[in-house]
Order: sequence, then C-alpha cells, then structure tokens
Amino acid sequence: MVQSLPKYFAKIFKIKLYSINRHPEHQRCEGSQYSSNILRFFHFASLSVRMTICIGILLFSFSSYLAAAVSDKYGGELILTTTSDPKSFNDIIAKETSTTEITEYIFEGLTTVDAFTLKVKPQLASAWEVSADGLTWTFYLRQGVVWNDGVPLTADDVVFTFNELIYNETIPSSSRDIFTIDGKSFKVEKVDDYTVRFILPVKFAPFLRGMAQAILPKHKLKKAVDSGNFNFTWGIDTDPKEIVGTGPFKLAQYKPGERLILERNPLYWKRSVDGDHLPYISKVIYVIVQSADVELLKFLEGTIDLYTIRGMDYALVKPLEQKKNFTVYDLGPAMGSNFITFNQNPDVNSKTGKPFIDPKKLSWFINPQFRQAVAHSIDRAKIIEIVNNGFGYPQHSSMGPAAGFFYNPNVIQYDYDLDKAKDILAQAGFVDRSGDGILDDPAGNTVEFSLYTNADSTERMDIAAIISHDLEKVGMKVNLKGIEFNTLVGKLTSNYEWDAIVLGLTGGVEPHFGKNVWTSDGQLHFWHPNQKEPATPWEKRIDEVFNQGVQELDEDKRKVLYDEFQLIASKELPVVYTTLNARLVAVRSKFGNLKPSNFGGVMHNLEEIYIKPEYR
Amino acid sequence: MLKYIFKRVAIMIPMLLGIALLTFMLMRLSPGNYLDTIRLDPQISKETIAYYERLFQLDKPLIYQYVHWVLNLLRGEFGYSFYYNVPVVQIISWRLFNTFILAFASFLMTWLIAIPLGIWAAVNRNRKTDQAIQFFSYVFLSWPSFFVAMILLFWASQTGILPLGGMHSPNYENLNLWQQFVDLVKHLAIPTIALSIGSIAALQKIMRGNMLEALGQKYILTARAKGLPENKVIYRHALRNAINPLITLLGYEFSGLLSGAALIEIICSWPGLGSLMLTAVRSKDIYLVMASMMMGGILFIVGNLLADIFLAKADPRIRYDKR
Repeated sequence: MVQSLPKYFAKIFKIKLYSINRHPEHQRCEGSQYSSNILRFFHFASLSVRMTICIGILLFSFSSYLAAAVSDKYGGELILTTTSDPKSFNDIIAKETSTTEITEYIFEGLTTVDAFTLKVKPQLASAWEVSADGLTWTFYLRQGVVWNDGVPLTADDVVFTFNELIYNETIPSSSRDIFTIDGKSFKVEKVDDYTVRFILPVKFAPFLRGMAQAILPKHKLKKAVDSGNFNFTWGIDTDPKEIVGTGPFKLAQYKPGERLILERNPLYWKRSVDGDHLPYISKVIYVIVQSADVELLKFLEGTIDLYTIRGMDYALVKPLEQKKNFTVYDLGPAMGSNFITFNQNPDVNSKTGKPFIDPKKLSWFINPQFRQAVAHSIDRAKIIEIVNNGFGYPQHSSMGPAAGFFYNPNVIQYDYDLDKAKDILAQAGFVDRSGDGILDDPAGNTVEFSLYTNADSTERMDIAAIISHDLEKVGMKVNLKGIEFNTLVGKLTSNYEWDAIVLGLTGGVEPHFGKNVWTSDGQLHFWHPNQKEPATPWEKRIDEVFNQGVQELDEDKRKVLYDEFQLIASKELPVVYTTLNARLVAVRSKFGNLKPSNFGGVMHNLEEIYIKPEYR
Repeated sequence: MLKYIFKRVAIMIPMLLGIALLTFMLMRLSPGNYLDTIRLDPQISKETIAYYERLFQLDKPLIYQYVHWVLNLLRGEFGYSFYYNVPVVQIISWRLFNTFILAFASFLMTWLIAIPLGIWAAVNRNRKTDQAIQFFSYVFLSWPSFFVAMILLFWASQTGILPLGGMHSPNYENLNLWQQFVDLVKHLAIPTIALSIGSIAALQKIMRGNMLEALGQKYILTARAKGLPENKVIYRHALRNAINPLITLLGYEFSGLLSGAALIEIICSWPGLGSLMLTAVRSKDIYLVMASMMMGGILFIVGNLLADIFLAKADPRIRYDKR
C-alpha cells in the first residue's frame, strides 16, 4: 500500500464502481455519489488536471473512504489444492477426507466445534436443552435458514437425515455406528417446524459433538430414498446445481482430475459482527495436484494460495516469505500418531490349532518391563530429526496435544536412556548368556522378533528402521519387514500372526471415538483384540473408564476419567508412541480475518475470511 | 484377407475372457480387499464392515463373483466402482479422451522426430552429426521420464512460460476456439516432451540400425551402380525395406495409446487414466481395474491386427491367406 499509493487507490475505485452492482445491500450512499463524481471528472478534465484533481480528491476524502470501506470485503478467489478427486458429494456415504474437506463448506450440522476452545457451539441449531436424566435433547433450529435453492430449512430435514438416511438399513452410512449405542438407535422426532427432539436409549456424552453431522435436504433427496436409488445419488457425475446444502459455499463446477469450484452462497444465513452477509470470498477453487513437489512449485510461482509445508521443504520455503509475499504459520502438533505395538494375543488359531504367536515371544511381550525397556530405547529426538525433518514433537499420551481439553500431559514419560533400558531388561531376566551379543530370555531363548509396517509409507518405514536400530543397541535382534498395506491389515484384523508392528492412527478430539482401540472387546484393540473378558486388571479398568466416560455429561468429570485412562496407558504401554509431526502451513499474505488454529487449521473460518482489495 | 481378419477377431473373445479371469484372480487372490482401509477406522464397527462385504458381494465365492461379472458384461454392464459409487464406464469415459490426447501428441512427436532423425543419422553415419545424435540419445535414454518432467516443471516455474501442470486454464471456458487450442498445446507441452524424449532416442536408434542394414544390402549397390540418384536409392529402395519392423512396433504403440502414463500424469496433474488406474489397483477397486484391463486388452489385440494388415500392405512378400 505504501509503495504505490495511486495504484492502490485506482484499484479500490475500480472495485467500488463494480461493487455497486454486485452488492447493492452493502453500498453506502456516500460511496456511490463519490464514485460518479470521479467518473464525471474523468470525462471532462484534461490529463494533467485530471491527475492533480484526482490525487487531491483522493487525499481529501481518504478518511471518509475508510468509513465507507467497512463492508467492502467482498469478492476475490481463494485457490487451494487437493491431492485427489472427491469420491462423491453424498455426505452420508462418502467419508474420506478428499470428500469431506470439500463438503464441509457445502453442508452444516446442528452444532459445530469451536476451533480454539474445542467446545461445542451452535450452528444450524441456535440453542438446545437437555432433560434432567440426560436422555432427551431438544434442539431449536435457527429461524430463517434456507437451503441454497431457496427452500427453508425445517425440522423435517433433520428428522429425514437421521430416520431415513443414517438409520436406513439399505444405505451404507458409516455415521450409523456413531449414533448407535449397544445396537439401539436414537429416537428422532419433530416437535414443530423449528424444534427437533432426540431421545437417547442411554446417556451418551459425545452426543453434542456428534450433532455436527451434516443435515441434508429432504425436498431434494426424498424421492431418491423412496425409489431405492439414494446410494447412487449425488455421486461425482451429478449436475452441480442438484447438490443443495446450507453451507457458506455451493458447488459450481467439477472437472474430474482437474479442478473443483465452489461459489459463494448468497443465501447463507451467517452475518459478520458488522452485519455483513457472509461469506466474503466469491469463489474457492480446488486444483487437483497429486504430486506434493509440483504443489510446492505452484505455490512458489504464486498460482495457489496455501501450501502445507513438509519438514523437508522448510529450509527452502521459509527464506522466501518476504520475496514471495506469504506467511508461514506453525499450527503446533498434528492429530494422528505413529506407534509400535507388540502382539499379546494368547489365543489359538481355530483353523490350524496353533497359537497366533510363538509362546516364548508372547512371554516377552506380555511382560510390562519388556515394553518399558522398549519405550526407553526409542530415540525420539532422532525420529524428529530424520522423519519429521526437525519439526516434530515427542508423544507420550494416548490423546495427542491437538485433542486440547482431553489431553493429559502428566503421564509417565520414557526418556531415551539405553542404560536404564538395559537395567530394566536385566532385572526381568533378559541378559546375554550365550555371548553372541544378543539378549536371551530367562528360559535361554534368543530375543529375536519381526517388526512389520506398511512399505508404501516412507514415514513409517523410517520410523520402524530407527526403532529396530535402537532396539539392537539394547541387544534385541529385530527383523524389519515392510509389507503391503492390505497384508498388514489382514495380520491385524483377521489372522493375528505378527510379533510387532509400527502403525499409525488418525486422532480426534472426542476420546470415546477411540473406543474400538482401547476397550478389551474392540476389534482394533491391536495387541489382543475381541476379548470376551478383559485379560488384565488394567484393561478392565480402561473398559470401566470408557463405559463411565460415555455416560458422564459433566465435561470436567469426564476429563478426570480420560486422564486416568491416559495414565494407565502410559504405565502399561500396550502401544509405545513415537513422535507427532508439526503442522506448518504457508499462506499467501492476501487475506483478512485469518485466525489459524491448531484444531481447525487456517481455513476453518472460511466464511469470515476476506481477500484484501489489492489482491482481488 | 477378410477371412483372416474374421478369424483374428473370433480369437479375441476367448483371449479377452482369459485376460479378465487372470486379472480377476490376481486382484482377488492377492491379500486384502477394498474394505481394508476402513477396517482400521476406529469409528466403524465389525457389523458395518460385514454389511459392506455383503453389499459388494465380497463374501461370495470367487467363481461366483467372476461368473456374475461376465454375465453382467454380456448385458453391457461393467459394474460400479466401489470407491466412487458411479458406473465404471462413466469414470473411464471422462478421462479416456484426456489420456488419448496426451498419448497421441507424444506418439506424433516421437515418430515425426525419430524416423527422420534415424534416417539422417544412418545416411551420415559416423560423421560429427551422427555422433552427436547418438551421444544425446544415450543421455536421454538413461533419463527417467518423470525426472525430465520434474526438471521441465521447475524450469517452467522459474520462467513462467508454460503452465505448471493441469490440462486447461481456469478461464478455459471463456476462450475462443483458437485460444482454447493454444491453451491446450501449452498444457500439453511438458508432459508430451517428458514422455517423448526417451522414446525418440530409442526409436531413432532402431530406425538408424534398420536403415544401415538396408543400405548395406547388395540391391542398394546395384541401384547405385545403375546410376540412380542417391535420393531415390535411399527413399525408394532402402527406406521401404527398413521400415517394415517399425510397422509391427506401431501396432504395440497403439495398445499403449489408452493405457496412460501414470507417473507423468501424476507429476503433471494430467487428468488421465493412468493415475486413476494406479489408485484403483492399490485400493482394490476391482471392477474399475477390470474394465480398464479389458480396454487395454482389446486395444492390444486390435493394434496387433492393424499392424499385421499394414505390414501386408507395405511388404508384398507377406500373405496371410493360403492361395
């Protein structure tokens, strides 16, 4: 702005003249009068006179312009990238991130999660209340919300979304599992046009967070459900106009493999603090770029506005901040984890009659001291240096720091200490008796096992390599085996024949959604899945914590419970965590109202973000 | 000739069914299936996964699934993609044309440059120009195409002359026909060059070798002895004999037209079939893979047939029908 003042003003005027037509509701009268004066001057004044007068007027009325500029935030394009095509626009069926990162701007739920406090806040519902027994929830819908085709949103749409879509047995919806407790569904009923009642079979603490479930329009989809075609409705071959949501943007165009364009929904209900009709940005363009290297080139060239920096790019990207006009944000530790886990499954394969895992290895893995020694042997600083390229955080708790409220930092931390690891192993009877440099267990067996991970993930292969190297330093013989992802999943979920695995899981804010991993009957309770009765006292206690936690509606009391669970997990170490990536994002410096958050990223408040006039 | 063509087409049917069976077995007998990615999602229950298995008929015996697929095929249905929930024909058809354009452009570029270059090199054998051509051929042959693409993209990002990947500019719809064509050519340039540069080097070497062999024949000596102009000797006599093996090669190239070049497509963000198929194979989206394999199979057989017919036209010594 300072460098070329006249040019800046000229740009503003162009936009001012323009915006008269585009957003008449925001135009102040001073603004339009002023613009027409300028026009008249341009017509009649000679060049030199025109220049002087123009600048004079500009300087004279600069302050009055500022007053008029309040609502001049409209217009402009935001250009993002996505690595793969969306799989569907049907939010009930498709759940991959490639789909949801786009549909989250088209559809909305009754509630949403605040990107900073991580507390639930109103979205399509303006308020709600819960009965004393915690079973009946009444939601009051926001009045005046319309679908982007102009039809008003009513309680019928909410009831339809739950009763006819999510609970419909013929529709493969993964949301159904979230809204089903012990095989029982919620009762969803309409009270009046703007009131919906949910009756739960038991108390369910994650309920409010779950109400972020997107609501879909009955008037558009009812016919497809009745004719049994819903599963093939709103696929990627659908005319964009047919996709109707309440969100700030609507689908304008999709070209497979190339790009997807969202445009401003002029009927969006949300207003800014100043009363502006949101959103400000006219178009959001997603360019489909499969290669991250090309994405980086495009960002540096200036054709895209946002780039998620990989640790290895940092040294290249950071120095260019000024020159290429962007800002690098460090959003803190990412969600998701990488860990090593040992097979503790004592069961016998019913087909072959053999145990899933060699009994001698089982005796090592079920020994907590063995796992503690492993935890002390992992050099997390090295993993951060090599795998995260210096931008990472060591992880000790089973809820990551990104989970915010439910994260318990006060768990047992196992620092990298090889001597301590060797001491613990010696106490447990693991010493090198045969003198071959490899530990022997108390029964005289050499400590040798296989460590698997999926070979297509370089990150996990690197982590597994560092871990196996570290474990060799304390005297274990580790055979690292990179295998196909599908084979790895088969080992974990159907044939259970493995020794140790390096794996990762995506994380979330709600601890209960990790139930399948942590309760002893869960099928993702990797180290010993599908238990009929908890095998150990600590697994029994974790089961209790999860069962109480899901019924406890007081957030603070819930936190105490889940803190205990994280403490137990860190003590017993069924999984040993490694490191978390840092989330580094580079954003072109052309946006206003940008409020990056660890949970929501940079674009979580997209409807409020505007593009500075000189970049439109 | 017609009888021969008919016979070849008739053989296609069992061949295609064989290709389909082999693909199907490879896809299904290798560990895992499409549902493996959601198996590791903590929010999805066992019951839901079992439900998906029933829905996609992944719980049925293999032979049932195969027969079911063949029967549907006879009705002209290629099935639905698990991943996209859309008929596979639809998904393929969107990208078919894009893949074809890229393949055709690189095909044209390769042949139009490599053949004259090979002839020229052979005629100027062991001179400085020939040595230079052979040197650069070795260099380009040893460069992987994705590396060439990466370098070109880097160059483009530095100079801003060519767009960085993609197929159309965002404002493509608003351009006139000529501008649209220029836009397309600009986007085509990098992937085409990356795809062609290695093939030009290879094809040039084959052409040069063939040409040299033909030029060493006795009939060339005779032609020259008769006092024919050198032009005629080379283009009339040597070239016609040297080109025959390349016609067979042309048939193979035809099958490659639609198979796509996954790596280049990924790097250059070209919306083609190659990258789509790579994801489909890796995520075990079986019917999408089957459809594309069938397409590749048909093109391969037809390509070979066409090559054989061309060969008969070009070389009078070749006869397929017994007289």
